[in-house]
This record gives sequence, structure tokens and C-alpha cells, in this order.
Amino acid sequence: MKCEEIRAVMPDLASGLGEVTPAISGHLAGCAACAGKLEEFRKTMALLDEWQAPEPSPYFDVRLQARLREEMAKPQSAWMAWLRRPVLAAALSVLMAIGVGLFVREGGGGYQPANNMIANNDAIVQAEPGTAVGDLSALEKNNDLYSDFELLDDLQVQHDVGANP
Amino acid sequence: MDTRELEGEQLSPRNGVQSGVSTATMDGGILMASLGARPGAGLQPALAGAEGYTDAEVMLRVKSGDQAAFDFLVQKYRRPLVSFMYRMARNAAAAEDLAQEVFLRVYRSRQSYEASAKFTTWLYRIATNLAVNHARDTRRERPEVTISLDEPDQETGTTMDVRDSSMTAEENLVREERMAAIRRKVEALPERQRTAVIMHKYQQMDYRQIAEVLKLSESATKSLLFRAYESLREQLKEFV
Ligand SMILES: [Zn+2]
Repeated sequence: MKCEEIRAVMPDLASGLGEVTPAISGHLAGCAACAGKLEEFRKTMALLDEWQAPEPSPYFDVRLQARLREEMAKPQSAWMAWLRRPVLAAALSVLMAIGVGLFVREGGGGYQPANNMIANNDAIVQAEPGTAVGDLSALEKNNDLYSDFELLDDLQVQHDVGANP
Repeated sequence: MDTRELEGEQLSPRNGVQSGVSTATMDGGILMASLGARPGAGLQPALAGAEGYTDAEVMLRVKSGDQAAFDFLVQKYRRPLVSFMYRMARNAAAAEDLAQEVFLRVYRSRQSYEASAKFTTWLYRIATNLAVNHARDTRRERPEVTISLDEPDQETGTTMDVRDSSMTAEENLVREERMAAIRRKVEALPERQRTAVIMHKYQQMDYRQIAEVLKLSESATKSLLFRAYESLREQLKEFV
């Protein structure tokens, strides 16, 4: 086993998530650099444990209920708010045309025409559930939810490189 | 509230918030609009009924209009999500609002949910987008966002209390200072590293799941995490 291979799994080893296989323990026994690094990573992990997060407040459920009720009570305005999102605004006219069409056809049964539109698109080939391909393709199909803020896509790799020369 | 006291019971109903409606089951969905109080006790039978169901299957019930199924997911994930948002948002007061927003988005998007997606991957992708978005917005507004544990929530007036009641005030102060320093170091990481560390260290997510949420390859995720911890190790030296 090479040092790079050990380092690839070191975060898991240090946090106790990863299994220490005989190959790994064999390498650690003979490589002081990796063994030392692992020990330091363990200490870092222990330090990070000190950053605790609070429990949800007793108000959490009540406020979530209120927000959900609000959402359900004002389907029209929720739909409008959804449409006002900046990136979606560009596609506003197209969505409106399709959305209104669907809305009418379904007798106003849903307040998220955009979602219905995608949900109804069952012609899409179903990927095998539980497989990586299936998961990923399904994630892409669920994309309408986050397509309006594709921030994950702009998390800069260059940033990382610069920060850790 | 002693935080340790509540450790490991994230599925249990919270004190005082929920009243005993024991009729809610996975099959007997209850209308959210008709709820005066939360069906706290109702979640226990729902939980029992949900045994053997994956989250994705529960989410499909939400899609088909089962309100109790949605409640089940909220109860299961509110604690992990609040802590995730607390660490991601750089603003303690916003953590609960953001976690609620995640649930609202899940609810709004129930019709488009595809069962073959791992539910938690979907959930954390929504959460990460929201948190990153929020962090960017607040950074733009206030270049130096200061986060105080003692700062009361603007709406509820409560503090995000993580103090340990078994310690003296002085010990708590020292502890809070260390915590604040650690938090600052994590927050100073490049965005993607920070997100990966929070998911790995505090949400116990594995490489594959983190990779899926961040849309990276597994090997890229491994190297991202290694670099992140390596830089934290360096930065936290003085505290070891
Ligand atoms: Zn080595």
C-alpha cells in the first residue's frame, strides 16, 4: 500500500469511520510519516468535536407548522414567489404558458405547476433504483429544486488550490 | 437545557410542543391544515409503521399526499439539519429558519421527487445550496459577521445555548472561546472544503454521499477532505 492510498482514507481512519484493514495497519507499522500524520489527524478530530451545535428550539415545530400552513393557504402567492426567483425569471414567459396550460388541464389541483410538469414526465426512462447511475439520474431529474441556485457548481476548486499550496 | 441529555433521541417528540394525537399512522395521513397541535405521540405509531421503509419510500408517501409521512421525515431530520445549518450558515440565529426552509422546499417539491435518489443526498443538496447562498448573502451585507452564542434569536428571543451546566462560568468561558476559535478555523476554509468537513465530521456522511451532494468524484472528495483536515491540523496546532 502506498502513502497516497493511506492519505486518501485518513480522514475516515482518524474519525473512526474507516476500517483499519491489515494492509493499512501493515503500512502504518512500517511508515512513521503516515503513522504520525494519522495521530495528528486524530487530535484534530478530537478538537473539532468540541464545536457543538445546539438542539432545535422548542419553537421549531410550531414555526415550521405555521410556515407550512401559510404555504398551503396561499398557493397563488407561493407560486408567484417561486417564479420571482432571479434565474427562473428568465424562463418566466415559457413556464407561465406551460404552467397555466397544465394548471387548467388539471383543474387547479396543484399549486406547483412546474413540479407537476416534471412529475408528469413519466416517459423518462426509469433508471435502476439503488444503483449509482439510478441515484445520479434521479438527482438530475429532481434538479428543478436547485436549478435556480446552482451554487454548488460554482464552489471554486481554484480556491482550494490557492488556500493549500 | 443540557444538550447531552437529549443526545441520541432525535426521533423523539420534543417537550411541550406536541400533544398526544395517537391516530396518525403512515397510512392515515392527517391534514396539516387541521392540526392545532403537532401529533407528537402519533409519530411513534407512524415510526413503528414505517419500519422497513426507506426514506425514499416515505418520501413517495409524501408525494402521494400522506401528511404523516412528511411529519415523520421532519422529526427524523430536523435535529441533523438544524446542526448542519448552524455550522454552515455563519449565523446561529438563521440556522432554524434555514432548516425550516429546507423542509418547506422538500414539501413544495414533493411532486417531482424521484424515489431512486437517495433521500439524504437530495436533502443535503437542498440544504447545502441554501446555506451557501445564505452565507454569501450575509457576507455581502456584513463583511464581518460576528456570531455570538449568546445573541438571542430575533424572533423567539431564545439563545442557541450550548453551555454545559456542570461547568463553572469560568470553565464555560474557556470552553466557549475554544469553540469559537475552532469554529472560525472551519469557517475560514474554502467553501467546498468547509462543506465537506461539516458533512464528514459532523453529519457522519461517507465519501460517496458527500461526493454526490457536491457533484464530485469520490477520489476528488477524498483529496478535498484530506486537504481540509490537513489545513485544520495546521491551524489548530496551538489548541492541541
Ligand atoms: Zn506512508
